[in-house]
Amino acid sequence: MVKNITIFTTNTCAYCQMVKTYLRAKGVGYDEVNLDENPHRRIEAHSLSGALTVPVTVVTKTDDSQEIIVGYNLSKLVPAIS
Amino acid sequence: MSQQIVVYGASWCPDCHRSRTFLDEHHISYDWIDIDEDPAAADKVAQINHGNKTIPTIIFPDDSILVEPSDKALSEKLVTLNIMQPDNKQSAVVTHDVIMVGAGPAALTAAIYTTREDIDTLLFEKGVIGGLAAVTDLIDNYPGFTNGVHGLELADSLRGQAERFGAVIELGEVMSIKDEGKMKRLETTSGDMLARAVLIATGSDYKKTGVPGEAEYYARGVHYCATCDGAFYRDKKLAVIGGGNSAVQESIFLTRFASHIDLLVRSTLKASEVLRSELKQYVAAGKITVHEGVKPKEIVGDDNGVNKIITTDANDKEVVYDIDGVFVFIGLLPNTGFLKSSGIELDAVGLIKTDQNLETNIKGVFAAGDVRSGATMQIASAAGEGATAALKIREYLEGKL
Ligand SMILES: Cc1cc2nc3c(=O)[nH]c(=O)nc-3n(C[C@H](O)[C@H](O)[C@H](O)COP(=O)(O)OP(=O)(O)OC[C@H]3O[C@@H](n4cnc5c(N)ncnc54)[C@H](O)[C@@H]3O)c2cc1C
Repeated sequence: MVKNITIFTTNTCAYCQMVKTYLRAKGVGYDEVNLDENPHRRIEAHSLSGALTVPVTVVTKTDDSQEIIVGYNLSKLVPAIS
Repeated sequence: MSQQIVVYGASWCPDCHRSRTFLDEHHISYDWIDIDEDPAAADKVAQINHGNKTIPTIIFPDDSILVEPSDKALSEKLVTLNIMQPDNKQSAVVTHDVIMVGAGPAALTAAIYTTREDIDTLLFEKGVIGGLAAVTDLIDNYPGFTNGVHGLELADSLRGQAERFGAVIELGEVMSIKDEGKMKRLETTSGDMLARAVLIATGSDYKKTGVPGEAEYYARGVHYCATCDGAFYRDKKLAVIGGGNSAVQESIFLTRFASHIDLLVRSTLKASEVLRSELKQYVAAGKITVHEGVKPKEIVGDDNGVNKIITTDANDKEVVYDIDGVFVFIGLLPNTGFLKSSGIELDAVGLIKTDQNLETNIKGVFAAGDVRSGATMQIASAAGEGATAALKIREYLEGKL
């Protein structure tokens, strides 16, 4: 079960839009961290994902385990939120 | 079981539309409840789905529930409940007038035309709605925008315009197309579908250099999308590989983050005159250095990411650039791999061959945009081809082509 979802994004990133579009279409809520507006949080996105890219989607489950999805990847996102 | 099937959904939800179309096409009656207009219904859906308002949520006469069912799951359920005949197998596959593969500028424009004429149209998009146009920062040469338009903004407008007339975009992939005469069968991530006509507008994907380190450091120092990943290189040094329009345009974009860019060009700069003169300003300001005749050999890094790129210069001498990341823009590969067994004719580089009606060698299957052999690889021309294809598809559906 999903407790909450945080997405790291930037203003120009089209794949970030797609993750948001997908979650909205499924009626799933999320928090967004825009790295253009919060550049100091880039390090956090990097250390969570090991990648220098956005979107990074952090799905926290009710047991506090986390699933981290790098990029717009429905084959990982769909099972993570279901 | 006198009770009706109840479909909870919303007008903007593509999966809801799909399930409703399925029920309509099989003449199965149901109650439709729009949860945006009925808070009590929204609460009910949330209760069923552990707090998430997942739609469509469909309740059947026996009180069983399906959430976001594929058409296959829906048809199986209806057969189990004796609402639909099992021998109705052929028609249990969803049928559309047109299925468009891809939702870039070509297909979105085509969809504006077809849906505006009430031709039922479904688009499949495996990546970003808006295609390559959506991942481009600023588009300066698309007509109608005095000061250019941001790719994401253009993509959003195209999509909104197509959806306004009833286009439905399914987030998923088409894996194959099979000609069954009057009908074309598409194998998709949402199951098999049938279409009277198909438009292939799958564009192309970024080409890779194939040098050691490229795959290993993917997204950890090797990138193909400046608008996505550029922000991670604030005050860092970058190498950009490529010498065409994209490489120059994206290098200029990346200067808003990077302290310096080495533009590594295999032969000579091939970018347009306009871009080259713009580039000169950045070269003069010391933000970009152009190196011609340079071939990448290896991308090197450690646990923290990439730290250098090894190249050979025109004299075959090894030259190493100390950088924090590499962006690759060396051209594109057509997205036609999924057509291998379709019988659709491709040219030598894998682009789809069409006649003057943009129709392929298979009747009823059309192609438009970057994926078409002879295309000029521009958004304006992709949109134009989309419009042409849509009009030809209409003629085809009316038996006039
Ligand atoms: C960096 C860069 C900068 C550019 N700048 C400009 C510019 O300034 N001006 C200009 O006019 N043009 C520009 N272009 C070119 C322009 O982006 C393309 O010509 C245009 O996007 C082509 O549109 P399309 O619809 O044919 O294909 P695309 O935009 O490539 O869209 C095709 C879509 O199909 C999807 N797809 C592929 N296969 C499948 C499948 N099997 N199932 C489902 N979906 C699938 C893809 O995910 C993609 O979204 C630029 C290109 C690049 C790379």
